[in-house]
Amino acid sequence: MTTTLEAPSVHIGRTAPPPEPRRLRQKLTRAVHASAAVVLFVALWELVPRFVLDESTRTFLPPLSEDLHALWDLALDGELADHLLASVGRSAAGFAVAVAVAVPLGLLIGWYRPVARFLQPLLELARNTAALALLPVFTLLLGIGELSKVSLVVYACVWPVLLNTIAGVNTVDPLLVKAARSLGLSSPRLFRKVILPSAVPTVFTGIRMAASYSILVLVAAEMVGAKAGLGYLINTSQVNFQIQQMYAGIIAVSLLGVLVNSGFVVLERRFSTWRPKETP
Amino acid sequence: MIGIRSVTKTFGALTALDDVSLDIADGTFLSLVGPSGSGKSTLLDLLGGLTTPTSGEVLIDGEPVRGPGLDRGVVFQQYALFPWRTARANVEFGLEGGPLGKRQRAERAREYLALVGLSGFEDRYPHELSGGMKQRVAIARSLAYDPAVLLMDEPFAALDAQTREQLQEELLRIWRRTGKTIVFITHGIDEAVYLGQRVAVLTSRPGRLKAVVDVDLGDRTGDVRSGPEFGRQRHRLWELLHDEVRKAAEHERSAAR
Repeated sequence: MTTTLEAPSVHIGRTAPPPEPRRLRQKLTRAVHASAAVVLFVALWELVPRFVLDESTRTFLPPLSEDLHALWDLALDGELADHLLASVGRSAAGFAVAVAVAVPLGLLIGWYRPVARFLQPLLELARNTAALALLPVFTLLLGIGELSKVSLVVYACVWPVLLNTIAGVNTVDPLLVKAARSLGLSSPRLFRKVILPSAVPTVFTGIRMAASYSILVLVAAEMVGAKAGLGYLINTSQVNFQIQQMYAGIIAVSLLGVLVNSGFVVLERRFSTWRPKETP
Repeated sequence: MIGIRSVTKTFGALTALDDVSLDIADGTFLSLVGPSGSGKSTLLDLLGGLTTPTSGEVLIDGEPVRGPGLDRGVVFQQYALFPWRTARANVEFGLEGGPLGKRQRAERAREYLALVGLSGFEDRYPHELSGGMKQRVAIARSLAYDPAVLLMDEPFAALDAQTREQLQEELLRIWRRTGKTIVFITHGIDEAVYLGQRVAVLTSRPGRLKAVVDVDLGDRTGDVRSGPEFGRQRHRLWELLHDEVRKAAEHERSAAR
């Protein structure tokens, strides 16, 4: 009886890991596979402007190395840091406010099912209204300064968090609720010990989406009436014909986006270790 | 003692249970069989206090059941483990909010996981366990807060035949050791006969109590299932159930038409 039960762990012990060189080669192959498309893209960006494009087009699409050089210069003289800080500050502020508002609100709406049913169509409508379409409205109401930009980020971030939180609460396995009820749990304890932990991964997916949105939306907002920020940097560089610097700004934005997203992916995994690993 | 007194339960126009009366003495292992739609699960929900009878009453030690409580434990077919909790934390679930401190709860959980043969698996998450192991955890969870009654709703139906047989033996061992009253729903005649001291047969919709059969298989050691007594009891139940299963099938067919 017990021997059959302990069999799996014994088995794990016995299966030898593949020999070192083979594992290394596997890792290497996987790394090559994963980065091939990016490497190819980088190579094209470098080589096509250099050898294929004619003079005038190359002015607007310089080889990657020149753009990176511009990025390096921006980093050295501290200008990049200023813009980055301005952008990240706004994004983080808007994101934080959105999470602080949308998570509790979503829990409340999700817990009271009739309220969820009542609000759902409105929420769908709001979520599908592109945040940037509302930028003029925000500017009209809140002026051209920080407040309208941060508000726009808040607006863009609220929906994924809110909708995911509601969904997380609503999609709790009814059997788990029944099991908890059979143990005589009161509603508040049921909420704290079953609904909340079961909703955490779904809520966190919403939070991760919001973090991405906060950067995507902000950069666009900064192109209108800002005095600092990555969006401002990109826009003014273009206006002043500093094409390399414009691309440098774009690269910075996309690196920032990747960094933020992968950071949240790691966090998300930590919050949902109990979910079976998704096989890629 | 559990007393089911003229219990009727209707859902709208549908009568799930019709005037069911049954006494279950302390320490009894009762199997409950019946065709699908005979209200087996409804009866279990009533015992568990998850629903209330339309008429009649359910008594436990003379007191009417007023909702769920820790004097009864429920084990579900689909395990119903909390996936974000380890095996140990799942077993501790019913103990939280009780008198035990943190360390005592952990100790109790370890003890009951050992009882169901899962020592060494305390820190595994449900998704890391096989179906049989999950059900063991669920059983340990229900036993850990020491209810007098264990209510089991087809707990082994989703398991493969070998694991099922193993768990049936284990359950009998646990029952003998703990002296719990167990009400065990199944649609398997073999399972009902092998486990139950008494087997209650419900009729097809609406569920009425058709018969209660006493099963005497001695101490159920060795290959009881091949013995003549097992065969005789099994056949008796088969005859009792056969008509009901046919009726249920006819009912379903006419409903589908």
